[in-house]
Amino acid sequence: MRSLLRLVKFAVQSVFRNFWLSFVTTSVLLLTLLTVNMLIVLNVLADSTIKSIQDKVQVEVYFNAGTSEEIEKSVHGYLQALPQVKDVAVIPATQSLETFKSLHADDPEVLAALDEVGGNPIGDSLLISANNPDDFEFILAALDSSPEYAPYIKEKNYADHKAVIERLSGFSDKVRLGGLGLAGFFALISVLIVFNTIRVAIYVHRDEIAVMKLVGAPDWFVRGPFLLEAIFYSAAATALMGVGATLILKFLEPQIQSFFAGVDVNLAAYYWENLAIIFGAQFLALSALSMITTLFAMRKYLKT
Amino acid sequence: MITFKNVSKLYKPDTKALDGISFHVRPGEFVSIVGTSGSGKTTLAKLLFAEEKPTGGSIHVGDWDISRIRRSEVPALRRQIGVVFQDYKLLPKKTAYENAAFALEVAGAPASRIREVVPQVLKIVGLADKMHRYPRQLSGGEQQRVSIARALVHRPKIILADEPTGNLDAITSREIVELLKRINDVGTTVILVTHDRDIVNAMRKRVITIQNGKIVSDAEHGKYHLG
Repeated sequence: MRSLLRLVKFAVQSVFRNFWLSFVTTSVLLLTLLTVNMLIVLNVLADSTIKSIQDKVQVEVYFNAGTSEEIEKSVHGYLQALPQVKDVAVIPATQSLETFKSLHADDPEVLAALDEVGGNPIGDSLLISANNPDDFEFILAALDSSPEYAPYIKEKNYADHKAVIERLSGFSDKVRLGGLGLAGFFALISVLIVFNTIRVAIYVHRDEIAVMKLVGAPDWFVRGPFLLEAIFYSAAATALMGVGATLILKFLEPQIQSFFAGVDVNLAAYYWENLAIIFGAQFLALSALSMITTLFAMRKYLKT
Repeated sequence: MITFKNVSKLYKPDTKALDGISFHVRPGEFVSIVGTSGSGKTTLAKLLFAEEKPTGGSIHVGDWDISRIRRSEVPALRRQIGVVFQDYKLLPKKTAYENAAFALEVAGAPASRIREVVPQVLKIVGLADKMHRYPRQLSGGEQQRVSIARALVHRPKIILADEPTGNLDAITSREIVELLKRINDVGTTVILVTHDRDIVNAMRKRVITIQNGKIVSDAEHGKYHLG
């Protein structure tokens, strides 16, 4: 316990007495975290944008005219119970007809056929939102394969959306893959930056390390303060990043909101909700990396 | 106390720094080890506090067989021997007090003992009024005194001084050697490695002379007689 307190004392002394070295080391670690957080922000924005577009994809299922309200309710309940379904809304026949007409506004043959039939040949419809647009195929297949409900379904507009859904799905996969690749690339750069920064910091202390060894300090006693310093620098960089992120997001949130109008983006809320995970993980990763680098960088100076 | 038996040290590829050195130092002795640059005296000092390992022969310091010492035992050995270096080897970001205290702190000494011993030792070396200064705020002689204080705080049985006056002027050098003599007077064995003729001749103590890695003379009240 006495030794641990001494190690903490030496580490704190060293941080303040080597102020500029501490400042530069913390600043570089902070810049590394800034890169990481920019990647997180980009990822959140890309995710929100894709999600927002995905949320707009809805498939409409039209009932045959005259289908009873009881059947409609039953189908509604059946669909709503599927885990892939996010929401099902009942659209009255009149509204369905208007939607149908607007969708086929450029198709005079369809509109002429409607006029010929007269009245409203379309029944009520269900507007389905899925948790994932890729699930629509499954949802509609489930409906088709149900002998109980299939006879009451007149039409589904899935075919119109299929190409868009597939393109969207492909795009989101590419964005996620690209994000992962970018994250990996920047993670590698961050590791190299941290590695070199700590190595330089240890190099500056190489004579001190040799002196400590010459006066009889065991290896753990020499390493201790440097490992603690690595934790202090990581904690300071993470805390500064936390405060900085809060201030930057507070300042930029209105601009981001207006730029991504219509997309549900709330970066500040995302950070706030995931505060412990985001900065806890960053602190742990940075501390672990700094400590491993410290141990590695000190090896040759401990041979005295 | 200290026994060198047929000790040799070879640096690759073919530099023989020490060649079959044998001598014995009794407790409480003051021994000067002299020689010209490159004679092997600093290598001998490095072997004594296990900064280097001998290529052949054996070295005993008290109960320690340094030639076979394990790496994990080296810190304990170094805490038994107080070492004074030519370039002081002080921690630049610690005050004189903290530098001296460090040697006790690494040994796990209680804070109360450190508070008691360190000011006493700094007083002995004449730095009572400068104990809170950093090395850069002290003269060369004062820094060497801090180095001696750090070597003394353990109350070691042996003080090894490797060219302690090498960076100092004549007057300060004499003061440092006087300090080492006073330390010897209270029973501490002192090994002084030097090439300073005046100091050795004024001392009238045992002198071991090394040349080309070999002992060429070992005189009880010797003089510096190298060219």
